[in-house]
Order: sequence, then structure tokens, then C-alpha cells
Amino acid sequence: MIVLDKIEIGHASVLFTIDNLQLEQGEMYALIGANGSGKTTFLQSITGVYSPLKGQIVIDGSSISKFNRIDKAKMISFVGSTFDGVEYLKVKDYLALGRTPHTNIFGRLNATDFKVINDTIKLLDLESLQEKYTKELSDGERQLAAIARAIIQETKIIILDEPTAFLDYANRQKVMELMKKISTELNKCVIVSSHDLELCLESEIDLLVVHKIERKLRLCKANALTKTELISIGF
Amino acid sequence: MGSKTNNKLVIVILVTLLPIIAFIHLSSGTISIGFSDFYSALTNFDAQSTNQLIIKEFRFPRLIMGIIAGGGLSIAGLLMQTLFNNPLAGPNILGINSGASLFVAFSLMSGVPFFSSDFGTIISALLGAFAFGLLILAFSMVVKSNVSLLLIGIMLGSFTGAFVSILQAVSNPEDLKMFIMWAMGSLQQVEFSQLPIIFIFFLIGLISCLFVVKSLNTLVLGENQALMLGIKVKYIRIFLIAITAILTGLITAFCGPIAFVGLAVPNIVKLLFKTQSHRTLLIGSLLVGSIFLLICDIFVQLVESTIHIPINAITSIIGAPFVIIIVLKRLV
Repeated sequence: MIVLDKIEIGHASVLFTIDNLQLEQGEMYALIGANGSGKTTFLQSITGVYSPLKGQIVIDGSSISKFNRIDKAKMISFVGSTFDGVEYLKVKDYLALGRTPHTNIFGRLNATDFKVINDTIKLLDLESLQEKYTKELSDGERQLAAIARAIIQETKIIILDEPTAFLDYANRQKVMELMKKISTELNKCVIVSSHDLELCLESEIDLLVVHKIERKLRLCKANALTKTELISIGF
Repeated sequence: MGSKTNNKLVIVILVTLLPIIAFIHLSSGTISIGFSDFYSALTNFDAQSTNQLIIKEFRFPRLIMGIIAGGGLSIAGLLMQTLFNNPLAGPNILGINSGASLFVAFSLMSGVPFFSSDFGTIISALLGAFAFGLLILAFSMVVKSNVSLLLIGIMLGSFTGAFVSILQAVSNPEDLKMFIMWAMGSLQQVEFSQLPIIFIFFLIGLISCLFVVKSLNTLVLGENQALMLGIKVKYIRIFLIAITAILTGLITAFCGPIAFVGLAVPNIVKLLFKTQSHRTLLIGSLLVGSIFLLICDIFVQLVESTIHIPINAITSIIGAPFVIIIVLKRLV
């Protein structure tokens, strides 16, 4: 559970404030706001790249700034908007890298590691891609592999920064449905930033909207807002 | 697809190839030496036998130096290519080579007899390599981005290169010749008695590599993703540069700045194994690097009685086309 209490997000100046929000495991949240409203900065504050200007982000009772690198990597995984693939890197080797925070100094995979990897491959239907090189995949397949890698990292929180930005309609829907399923079935707290309002509304998930006038992050329950209302407060 | 077994097979082939090439390397040269002499030179050394003396004092050190230089530079190149996420990086990209060159240029052209001796050259090269290794390490602690660090390394190289040119312009022809000979690179300068110390440093470099395999595998995803996977990128970077400085400094001190091996071999190894598993790539670089440099040196030996070809010429003649092929392949 992420507790955000009286927090100011920003670098040099305050981009927005959060009065009091709790983000739960088993839920998926779409982060929505105009360009420059501070979405990425907010995500980076949760991953601990930047500290909030005021207040502490508290995860499971302890401040994120107190986490060491490995504990953080066991708590939060991150998927960017694109994964370009790496030459000569096979999908199965890429997926195995998700175990990095759990393995010893030599990076050897044990039986548990293999089980997590194989279960995730089954869950996401990636069997046919395993032996392929990451460079050979389509954009959609690569994004799926990146999500699988994040699941394999076995974190309570998964953060996705505009994961659908470079995907076609079918793949965008697929990613959102998949993340929703993962949040409930695997009991994860999933936060997805997105510019795609229709997609977020359609997916019936809770929305975190950066209110453009109040400069506050507001939690809106699924189906609570229409698209017009959403545009009026966020853009 | 069984590529794992394929890669194991390739390693087995390379492991068998190395002693064969090593034997050809030992037996080529102006004076032909029989197998029995090799055997007795190793088991029951007789200092009175010229052949055995040649083996112990010249051929054997040259062979070991070839293996260490080829393997070590290739590993250093692999580390730099992965750290900088750039297939065109090499051990000399950080200015470690140029540091050695600068110090050697200074010492050879100083006119002080101690510095222009063989021993003085080795000491200067070692000092230069480590001084510049430390310098780039210091930079790596304050500079955040790897691209900036790469740029600083290249700038250091140009900067010292300019000094070396000025030194060359003002030095007398004798000193200049000595420096140019050193800069051409050779495996012949090493003496039997120096082998243990070289081997110990080489081993330190190799063993250190075991502890960075996991980080290297993660670094191919880029620094940010490596950070998110819990890798302490800042420390790993320092550690990788330190290993590179030890390996490159050691080899440059004893052989001069050997070009192309560190750049070309890791790329050849990646083409050969088609993997990003750094355990395989490190073993591959060690083997292919040694074999590559020994083959180059066999060419040097073949014509040695008539002309002295610098090993740098051979490594570049063979290495440059490879690099071109790799660049072309990446564009396609």
C-alpha cells in the first residue's frame, strides 16, 4: 500500500500537491494529466529517482527514501513506453533479468526463479516467443515481454509510463486488460500513466487526475466521470 | 533451438584450437626447434642448450604474453562496450592507452638513461596507464551520464595525443625511433622472470570479472533499467573501469599500445555466440582474443628474419575489415 500524505511533487517548483491518497494492492490506477503537469515526475518520485519537495512517500509503512536499491527493486518494477530490444538478447534471457534483485552476486537462477519465469510465460502466453531475439519482436510483443519481465521481478507495485503510446488499438486494449487482470489476480498495485482518455475510461479503472486549476492529484473512482468532465478538470 | 549446446560446442572448439595455435606459435620463428626440445625445456631445463634457452627466454614468454594480451584486451573491450552500450568502444576509449603513451614519450625523450631503459619504459607505461585510469575513475564519480564520460575519455585521448606529437617534434631522431618502436607494439619485450607478476595481475583482472557478470547482463538494458533492477550502477562503473585500467595498463606497459584487438574481438565473439550472456561472452573473448593475437604474432614471426613488422600493423590489417563488416551489418 502506498500512502501519499501532504506531498508536493516537482523539481524546482511545485507541479502539484497531494492532500491524502492511498493506493492499494489489487487495484489498477490510470494517471492522467496534461503534458508538463508532472505525471512523469510523480512516477519518478514513487520509484525514488527524485524526492518529493515536501512530505514522504510511504510504502508498506516505511518511507521510500529509506529503501536500499535492492529492496526497492523487490518492491517496485518499471515498464517504459518502449523497449527497443537488445541485439542478441533472447526473450527468455531478457525475462530472466527480471529476477536480478532476487539472485545472488553471480546471478544464478534457482528452482524458484525458474518457476516464477515459467508461470509468467504461461500466464501471458509467451511460449512461442521465448526462443526469439528481442529485436525480432513486434512493438506489441516487445511491450508484452517488458510487462512479463516486470511481473517476474515479483514486486507489489508495477509502474508503467505510457506503455501504450506506441501501440495500435488492439494492442493498447490488450495491455490495459492484461494489467487489470494482473492487478487483481496477482494482487499488485498497478499505476499506468496515459494520454489515452477513451482507453482509460473504457478499461473501467480508477483514475488519478492532475487537476489543472487546483494543481492537485485527485482520485476518481471508475465510471465516476464522463469524458467531458475528465477533460474539463484535467486539460 | 539448442543454441546453448551450439555455444558449448564453439567453446570446446576454441579450447582445442588454442593449444594448437600456441604450439604453432612456439615452433615458428627463424630457428626451427624440435618437439623434444620443447618437452625438455619444460620438464628438465638445460641452460647449455641454445634451443632450450631460446624457448625459455624468448618463445615461451612471448607465447604467454600473446595469450594474456589478446585475452586481456578483448575482455577489457567487452567491459567497455557493455558499460557504454556502444559496440565501438574499446579499452583505449578511456584514454588509458594514451596515458601510457604520454608517459613513455616523456621518459624516452627525457634523455635520462634510467627512463629510456626497458625497465624505465615499463614503469612509465604502468604509471601512465594507472594515472589516467585514476583520472577517468575520478571523472566517473562526478559525471552521471556514460555518454559524457565516453566523451571525456576521447577528449583525454586527443589531449595527450597532442602532447605526444609535440614531444615527437622536438625530440632527437634516436629517441623518436625508440618511441615509435614502442608505439608499434610487440610481444617480444617480455622476459621469463616478469611472467609471474604479469600473470598475477591478469588473474586479478579475470577473477574480478566473475563478480560483474550479473551487472553486465543487466547493463545491456541501459543504465536506468539496471538501476530499477537493483544494480548499483555507480559502483559497478567504477569497478569496471578499474578492471579495464589494470588489464590495459599491464598489457600496454609490456607490449606497447596494441590496437584493434579490444575493439574487434568482442564484436566477433558476439557474432559468433549470438548471446548477451556475459559469462559466455567473457570466456569467448578470452579464447578468441588469445587465438587472434597469437595468429597475428605468427605472421610477425614468419617474416621476422627479413623485416620487423609491428604487431599493430597485423592486428589492424585483420581487425579493421572486421570492424567495417560489423558497422555495415548494423546499418542493414
